[in-house]
Amino acid sequence: MIKSTKALHRAIALAGISALALTACTGPSGGGGGTASGGSAGGGAITFGTTDKVVTLDPAGSYDAGSFLVMNQVYPFLMNSKPGSAEVSPDIAESASFTAPTEFTVKLKPNLKFANGHALTASDVKFSYDRVVKIDDPNGPASLLSNLKSVEAKDDTTVVFTLKQANDQVFPSVLGTNTGPVIDEEVFPADKVMSDEDIVAGKPFAGPYTIDSYKKNELVSLKSNPDYNGLLGKPSNDSAVIKYYADSNNLKLDVQGGNIDVAGRSLTATDAADLDKDSKVKVYKGPGGELRYIVFNFDTMPFGAKTPEANPAKALAVRQAMADIVDRQAISDQVYKGTYVPAYSVVPDGLPGATQPMKEMYGDGSGKPSLDKAKKVLSDAGITGPVNVKLQYNPDHYGKSSGDEYAMVKEQLEKSGLFTVDLQSTEWVTYSKARTSDAYPVYQLGWFPDYSDADNYLTPFFIPGNFLKNHYENPTVTDLVQKQLTTPDKTERGKLIGDVQSAVAKDLSTLPLLQGSQLLVAGKDIKGVEKTLDPSFKTRLGVLSK
Amino acid sequence: MTTLIDAPPSDADGLLPPRKKQAGGGLGQYILVRFLLIFPTILILVTMVFFLMRITGDPITAAMGGRLPPEQLQERITAAGYDRPLLVQYFEYLGQLATGNFGTTLSDNRKVTEMLTTYGSATLELAINAIIVALLVGIPLGMVAAHRRDHLPDAVLRILAILFYATPVFFAGMLLKLVFSVWLHWLPVAGRAGTRTELSLTALEAPTGIYWLDALRSGNMAAFSDVMSHAVLPALALGLLTAGVFLRLVRTNVIGTLGKDYVEAGRSRGVSEFRLVTKHAYKPALIPIITVMGLQIAVLLGGAVLTETTFEWKGLGFQLANYLTARDFVAVQGIVVLLAVIVAVTNFIVDIIAALIDPRVRY
Repeated sequence: MIKSTKALHRAIALAGISALALTACTGPSGGGGGTASGGSAGGGAITFGTTDKVVTLDPAGSYDAGSFLVMNQVYPFLMNSKPGSAEVSPDIAESASFTAPTEFTVKLKPNLKFANGHALTASDVKFSYDRVVKIDDPNGPASLLSNLKSVEAKDDTTVVFTLKQANDQVFPSVLGTNTGPVIDEEVFPADKVMSDEDIVAGKPFAGPYTIDSYKKNELVSLKSNPDYNGLLGKPSNDSAVIKYYADSNNLKLDVQGGNIDVAGRSLTATDAADLDKDSKVKVYKGPGGELRYIVFNFDTMPFGAKTPEANPAKALAVRQAMADIVDRQAISDQVYKGTYVPAYSVVPDGLPGATQPMKEMYGDGSGKPSLDKAKKVLSDAGITGPVNVKLQYNPDHYGKSSGDEYAMVKEQLEKSGLFTVDLQSTEWVTYSKARTSDAYPVYQLGWFPDYSDADNYLTPFFIPGNFLKNHYENPTVTDLVQKQLTTPDKTERGKLIGDVQSAVAKDLSTLPLLQGSQLLVAGKDIKGVEKTLDPSFKTRLGVLSK
Repeated sequence: MTTLIDAPPSDADGLLPPRKKQAGGGLGQYILVRFLLIFPTILILVTMVFFLMRITGDPITAAMGGRLPPEQLQERITAAGYDRPLLVQYFEYLGQLATGNFGTTLSDNRKVTEMLTTYGSATLELAINAIIVALLVGIPLGMVAAHRRDHLPDAVLRILAILFYATPVFFAGMLLKLVFSVWLHWLPVAGRAGTRTELSLTALEAPTGIYWLDALRSGNMAAFSDVMSHAVLPALALGLLTAGVFLRLVRTNVIGTLGKDYVEAGRSRGVSEFRLVTKHAYKPALIPIITVMGLQIAVLLGGAVLTETTFEWKGLGFQLANYLTARDFVAVQGIVVLLAVIVAVTNFIVDIIAALIDPRVRY
């Protein structure tokens, strides 16, 4: 008994000491970030906060923004785009071009090497691409290489990509995507995805940075790579840290408190509006690739092909009237506080070839709604009473504000007196299956691009068998989409991309509502933020400095 | 009088019938039975989680339902084996668990065992901090309440105990964060340490993953201070919940002990009431806390999910919330199995300790 009470005393004393330490060490701290001393990072390190997550650092196993954020800093690419531009150019390549309709030849710069000292040769390039195709991981980007037939290393610095379809103008862009990092064949296994810890230990990096320390989805510390010899040049900072957040509120509070230097994705519209008023930080906006749109199912929409009252002309009139009525600017202002901007085409503004045909074609001709025009369209088609539209949206996949966005669409349509809207929402797993089985006549979708090229907004949507499965087919559009994809001349291709947008705008297979804008918030002492906000949609930490 | 938890009777009460030694049973059999009960407990939890997770669909659709054509989606579901009968998948999973294979997470492709080790230490750190808060707040305040029973301080402390116990952890966490981080700027908003501290602790050789311990081991007092400043609010949010229980428990037990003959004898000798409480009455009153502490482990782990999420404390609870959102079956199952094992084993140990202290519970 004596022993046990003594032990109890000791336990209480220990608890007391610990708690004293717990409370004594608490004082004004300035928050959660870099104000604490005692660390090893240099003063010039840039800390970048994000809510995006890394799936894996292995290029064969990830196809997401969070993984790409790190990959884009540490791996070399054959093709990339200079900050400020979406045009692809050779990165660690000396030259890259079509040497035959189905042959894309890349010549590497001489004496390239990885951070572990291994030489980077054409053989590594072949290994990298063959591996992505061979592993074909469910989370991987293999689908981007669907046009790749084979890769051949002609010599140490020459690689030839043989394509299935000739003159694929998108292929150079694909080399700069998630599928594009060139990796070390002496480090990675050929047939399976490698763990992040093993990758970091192997140092197979030859991009602008190498990974100094790595705590998955917590903290990644990057160090400038003196051996990088590519398009992006030497980083403006010696080191950078990526700090991961689960809650955008904490991200916002930490950038306001100066505990991180730059906050990236995904601050909400309300956060951005609030931060705009804060004198300690600056909000930067740039063009974004996200597109939010309404899909029409041509079989089941009002007057659709498989409805009792099937009438293609009336169905088209319904789509046109909706395009006349919807007020994109109001949704942008009121729901998204300007963090999304109105979209008047299926290709987001800012990309080469993008036009805005729907701005003139619908509404008052300047982008604003027109009730009179909508009334005329419906009456000309012989539609007299209000049209009942069953409109579906998803509450958990396209951001918290989808509910407000679609409540506003319903309000706008019903306020016109021309529509009654039955608005419903469904959770994503069910939603994504049901939409392709004709369950939703009119519904919400969104799109993030795989690469910065207009084609990524055309081929997946408007050719037969597209992923929308909305029964839209137009041979003219199909032909134009195919032509733009294989036309080498940039001017001619740009015109063809414009023609597709106009043709699709007439048919209204989808009704684009909003285009996302990239948003970064940085402390007032941070330079170079605007340089990374370009239509390539790539975050480049190397342009940031204090 | 309302009590949250009534203290178990003890020998000191003198109200229990004299113990009889039973043939056959005893400590060995008791331990064996308790040990064997661990397995069905874990199996039931694993089974429930396995089937509940599959009610909402397969993870491939959850991850890529919007981006892939239905045919490709189906191909991937088939390749991953999610189209097979549920029972087949279930027994296969049990077989893997039996061999210690927890699998690889679906959403971020990491070994579940590695993930459990990494984040388990963070949760352990939070639990230790919370228990320290619970003991430091609950025990002294319980003694004060007993000493000042039926007076104003007692009434206030009893109400406080109920408030501590009844306030949802996430609400307490948000309130603390709002006041001490957002308004007063006294303490960090979230995380386990500042960026530089985390980098310095990560760079240590063989870190334990318990930050304050790693900071102390490396002699980095600035890092220790930073870690502690981050620990206060999460520890308070979670610890006060249990402190409420301890407060009531200590109060009830101390009051009970103060009526005992030996205390009365001390009182008649002129020993002050304060000394009686702090010197004599609290010792027997603390013994039931050991039992309750074991039960509170389950409460703490449950609360850790919400606390970790509120404060971005990247432990098992935080990861569990993320993996649930991503419908990562493999990861969720791994975490739940580990939590189930911790709760079951802790209760087993507490049962054994209780049986050693008070032999009556063996029968």
